[in-house]
Amino acid sequence: MSTLCPPPSPAVAKTEIALSGESPLLAATFAYWDNILGPRVRHIWAPKTEQLLLSDGEITFLANHTLNGEILRNAESGAIDVKFFVLSEKGVIIVSLIFDGNWNGDRSTYGLSIILPQTELSFYLPLHRVCVDRLTHIIRKGRIWMHKERQENVQKIILEGTERTEDQGQSIIPMLTGEVIPVMELLSSMKSHSVPEEIDIADTVLNDDDIGDSCHEGFLLNAISSHLQTCGCSVVVGSSADKVNKIVRTLCLFLTPAERKCSRLCEAESSFKYESGLFVQGLLKDSTGSFVLPFRQVMYAPYPTTHIDVDVNTVKQMPPCHEHIYNQRRYMRSELTAFWRATSEEDMAQDTIIYTDESFTPDLFMCTCAGLLYRNIFQDVLHRDTLVKAFLDQVFQLKPGLSLRSTFLAQFLLVLHRKALTLIKYIEDDTQKGKKPFKSLRNLKIDLDLTAEGDLNIIMALAEKIKPGLHSFIFGRPFYTSVQERDVLMTF
Amino acid sequence: MISAPDVVAFTKEEEYEEEPYNEPALPEEYSVPLFPFASQGANPWSKLSGAKFSRDFILISEFSEQVGPQPLLTIPNDTKVFGTFDLNYFSLRIMSVDYQASFVGHPPGSAYPKLNFVEDSKVVLGDSKEGAFAYVHHLTLYDLEARGFVRPFCMAYISADQHKIMQQFQELSAEFSRASECLKTGNRKAFAGELEKKLKDLDYTRTVLHTETEIQKKANDKGFYSSQAIEKANELASVEKSIIEHQDLLKQIRSYPHRKLKGRDLCPGEMEHIQDQASQASTTSNPDESADTDLYTCRPAYTPKLIKAKSTKCFDKKLKTLEELCDTEYFTQTLAQLSHIEHMFRGDLCYLLTSQIDRALLKQQHITNFLFEDFVEVDDRMVGKQESIPSKPSQDRPPSSSLEECPIPKVLISVGSYKSSVESVLIKMEQELGDEEYKEVEVTELSSVDPQENLDYLDMDMKGSISSGESIEVLGTEKSTSVLSKSDSQASLTVPLSPQVVRSKAVSHRTISEDSIEVLSTCPSEALIPDDFKASYPSAINEEESYPDGNEGAIHFQASISPPELGESEEGSVENTPSQIDSSCCIGKESDGQLVLPSTPAHTHSDEDGVVSSPPQRHRQKDQGFRVDFSMENANPSSRDNSCEGFPAYELDPSHLLASRDISKTSLDNYSDTTSYVSSVASTSSDRIPSAYPAGLSSDRHKKRAGQNALKFIRQYPFAHPAIYSLLSGRTLVVLGEDETIVRKLVTALAIFVPSYGCYAKPVKHWASSPLHIMDFQKWKLIGLQRVASPAGAGTLHALSRYSRYTSILDLDNKTLRCPLYRGTLVPRLADHRTQIKRGSTYYLHVQSMLTQLCSKAFLYTFCHHLHLPTHDKETEELVASRQASFLKLTLGLVNEDVRVVQYLAELLKLHYMQESPGTSHPMLRC
Repeated sequence: MSTLCPPPSPAVAKTEIALSGESPLLAATFAYWDNILGPRVRHIWAPKTEQLLLSDGEITFLANHTLNGEILRNAESGAIDVKFFVLSEKGVIIVSLIFDGNWNGDRSTYGLSIILPQTELSFYLPLHRVCVDRLTHIIRKGRIWMHKERQENVQKIILEGTERTEDQGQSIIPMLTGEVIPVMELLSSMKSHSVPEEIDIADTVLNDDDIGDSCHEGFLLNAISSHLQTCGCSVVVGSSADKVNKIVRTLCLFLTPAERKCSRLCEAESSFKYESGLFVQGLLKDSTGSFVLPFRQVMYAPYPTTHIDVDVNTVKQMPPCHEHIYNQRRYMRSELTAFWRATSEEDMAQDTIIYTDESFTPDLFMCTCAGLLYRNIFQDVLHRDTLVKAFLDQVFQLKPGLSLRSTFLAQFLLVLHRKALTLIKYIEDDTQKGKKPFKSLRNLKIDLDLTAEGDLNIIMALAEKIKPGLHSFIFGRPFYTSVQERDVLMTF
Repeated sequence: MISAPDVVAFTKEEEYEEEPYNEPALPEEYSVPLFPFASQGANPWSKLSGAKFSRDFILISEFSEQVGPQPLLTIPNDTKVFGTFDLNYFSLRIMSVDYQASFVGHPPGSAYPKLNFVEDSKVVLGDSKEGAFAYVHHLTLYDLEARGFVRPFCMAYISADQHKIMQQFQELSAEFSRASECLKTGNRKAFAGELEKKLKDLDYTRTVLHTETEIQKKANDKGFYSSQAIEKANELASVEKSIIEHQDLLKQIRSYPHRKLKGRDLCPGEMEHIQDQASQASTTSNPDESADTDLYTCRPAYTPKLIKAKSTKCFDKKLKTLEELCDTEYFTQTLAQLSHIEHMFRGDLCYLLTSQIDRALLKQQHITNFLFEDFVEVDDRMVGKQESIPSKPSQDRPPSSSLEECPIPKVLISVGSYKSSVESVLIKMEQELGDEEYKEVEVTELSSVDPQENLDYLDMDMKGSISSGESIEVLGTEKSTSVLSKSDSQASLTVPLSPQVVRSKAVSHRTISEDSIEVLSTCPSEALIPDDFKASYPSAINEEESYPDGNEGAIHFQASISPPELGESEEGSVENTPSQIDSSCCIGKESDGQLVLPSTPAHTHSDEDGVVSSPPQRHRQKDQGFRVDFSMENANPSSRDNSCEGFPAYELDPSHLLASRDISKTSLDNYSDTTSYVSSVASTSSDRIPSAYPAGLSSDRHKKRAGQNALKFIRQYPFAHPAIYSLLSGRTLVVLGEDETIVRKLVTALAIFVPSYGCYAKPVKHWASSPLHIMDFQKWKLIGLQRVASPAGAGTLHALSRYSRYTSILDLDNKTLRCPLYRGTLVPRLADHRTQIKRGSTYYLHVQSMLTQLCSKAFLYTFCHHLHLPTHDKETEELVASRQASFLKLTLGLVNEDVRVVQYLAELLKLHYMQESPGTSHPMLRC
């Protein structure tokens, strides 16, 4: 570290967080590589518990280890690398995000880590991507913050000739706190309300004697079809927790066990917040019968989302993956650019307000997103499919209460997965593994019996999950071109 | 409209106007790429091509106390694999993680050095610039001569795909833990051996020193000790101390199993020996004695040598190699395990993930899996089943089940099981794959980049090309014709014409004989039948079923119990012993959630198109069976005896319960006295061990080849649809040809469409050179038959013509097909000659998914609760039948002959479900 930033005192700053439920997280740490002293811990976040699971010394010891070897760091510019440790000797797992940044004039290596007990390994792994994605983005913003902090300090020192104060380097901590706490809350809520790996079909709509017993036939068809078209990513809202959870479980039947563990049931008493990156989540409306969906977080989800309201039986969906990713990236870039351009602390702090106060009412289905003025983010399910329709028409012909429907469902999922793999292979062959552009979508539809647009969407969505980037590769270029053309037209 | 402040914050108009066109001031390193998957050169496959190595590999590195981190070996040991990737640098990176944080050596306050049995650590890290990511498994081995007695090692699985490593983390961890355990077990054995030798050396040294001291004592008469004597005494004391230290170390290493192996998943042998050792330890109080009586006694005699009390610790000594540290046998075993890991996780993540999902979903489909799924997968599932049952420990089984779940064949180096001399741990590695198979897999892997693969890309101009000599013969007779005589087509079969002769026939015409219609055409199957003729087809085929008694070559099925129904069930009928249960549906009986499948209605269904459907009867399984009375004037018993001659083991019998010799014998007996013949369902079981399908059947290579040939077939032959329909509907297809290679190739290709009716093998006979017997048509659903020009061959063709009602005949030489008409929509989707699918492996996947869809329909039809049961007592069977027809048409969307396909699969499902030991019977012959 530079001389401007003295090594922290042995007592590392610590923030204790009170959580309502059980916290699987032992601690989170922020460490940096000191050029003289090596790895040092700057801040610790730990849940407030009566029982001390890890002492500060142990946390510091572990956090220091996350930066071991990073003196050899060889990363691409701007890369945020993920390291994952399972230290059986200590009985912990550590997830570290390592990045380079400029802080107070020096370029150094930093590590933001979360520590969990090793017993939570199978609980954590399905949630790894969610945690990493969220921490990665806060690091992106934090890096800009650190950089600007330096610039401002240098300017201040030059202009005022004042010595810097010791706490100036701490400024990233409140920003990190703003994401570490929600991650802790997310893990805590998942501990108590995650969907089990195995779902009893008896707890779902598919156990009804006949289609339409629990919910309207068309609604169920739309919900499942759209759910599959949006890569199995759905938000179910309603006033009754039981009703919401029944649909959540039903939708989760169409997910893999790992994806189910990354889905959350609705809380009976009070509503959870929307969490970006979960596959299916149930959310309770407030007493006024409305629910505020944070637009920013919906945009930051890795896949587009289906919005299902079980009270009014509506199903709305976001645009397909390639559009979603494009919108998401534009939004991210806008956010980071605005952050970069902010000239005062007030401007920078505005983000905090944005963060805490953001809201988006899906009822409006109108919003402004990163240059796409007044575009509908949630839209009606436009493309009908034959796959889900046939499945629903057929599955209720089987007697409930036996394993027949489960077997039939497994067959349906197997068909979908095999079609998805065939589709990937088809495109792989046709494009010579991406070396050539894909031009024969029409042939693909005919050859793989996916002529119904909804069928293609479902299979493409499934394929996207196992081969990320497929949508952008197939549909991206024409889409980007059309967006650019439209933008050009809008300038006239 | 918008109440979101965050939206407002970024929706200032100038923001949106500026952002796309003005270069943002934000440095790229702080930004995110706008098109993560669509930038220049980026595509879903490109991330894997950024690395300097060609494919995933395993690296073993050591943190040497002399030279620091260094790579030791790679798996596969081929420089082409890791290319220009800097192994030294990467070793440094992965070994620089100070993961241990555990004390090894002399702890403060302890008199003796203490061994700390450090648990392995697992780290996932990467080098984003190099595009290399690794799962690193750190472990510590013991070496008496090393600093602190420890040698840190790591095994790293290096891949260009970071997601692959994280998504497969638990599997990687489990597999590497096994490899590590193997190394550590061997190391403890070697370390204990080293200690034992050292103790013997020390003991010997002590004796020598003691003797020398005594000699000096005796020689010393001056009353005081010389400096030499004092030195000797000190040396002796040092040796004494060293002995105690080493004894303590030996005790520690020997006590490992009791402390560490508890709570671990141990293989049965391991546990037994631990218990043995524990009991032994309890009876042996003296550690020396214990050491003597323990496993070390079996070591070859060791000649102790005089050593210095204090070992020299210098940097010029040569450190032991990994092999020396771990005992050669264990080292070899570890390498085998690592090769297995490399093989297991090789390839694109999407295929790994899909195969895992596939297996998980297939586990839920025991009822339908037998139809089209690979036998290896079925076997896997069965193994899984067995493992779930707590059984007696078997030494043949691997320590845990996770190996069974791997999608690809396993360990490459065959090593036996043996016992550790330290903990007596039985270690048995997977050895499912022999060298030969390994080679084949290797070839498969290589062939993925082989130019030959490009052959897979079929010539586009091939698609839709139709040979002018190809013809299709549609089986059927005029409705008005009641007497069956030898048809033209049969006649043509009896005389082996040269292909040229056949091709010289008029290309597009039809011949209407008195008993059958032969349509020769070059058109695709849909357009084969002229419009004016189409209407007469169903009725024409209906005629086919009424073979009069006593006709030469005709086969008559008689229901022995129900003579009144004889007229109706003349052909292929089964015994009519209906019961209330029989007429009910598959889920007619339920008890405690269990399904009990009643059989289908016993009467014979004579379809409108004349194809006889004979659903299996539960009651005939054991005692009655259907009976066949037939006359066979020209039958040649000896030829039938030889009908299985030359059959490879795997082709002997798909159910492995019908000994063909027995069948022949029985048939002959029946033939000689024209008595009844008990069908296969009631036949006695033989003790023949079920033979597996060819080992390579489910290999990627096989799938690729089969798919490739099937693709060629559907593109080259306009009659591919009816041929595939024959297979799917259970009608035996005989592929007739002179050239064995060509016939075999086509049979292998078409086999992917053949539903199995047992768990073990598909009813496919790749090559037969002897005349076929009636039982062969029941047993095999796809037969490759040799066309012989000699008089002996006439018998073959005669037999074929005799049973032509039950078979479709694809004459490869003449490019003709004799089969029932097909007008459905299912097969065209499965086998479209205009398909743009380029590779065989892709076509195989397509077929697989379509067949799964078909299975699903058959499952629904079989188990639909209201479909097969009368809704009330007075409901007639006709009403039930019409409900079934309506269901097939409306709910399942089946048209025309597609119905028969689903009915046949449903029949197989019922048959399979009803039988306690699946595969003990064959479905009926189908016309």
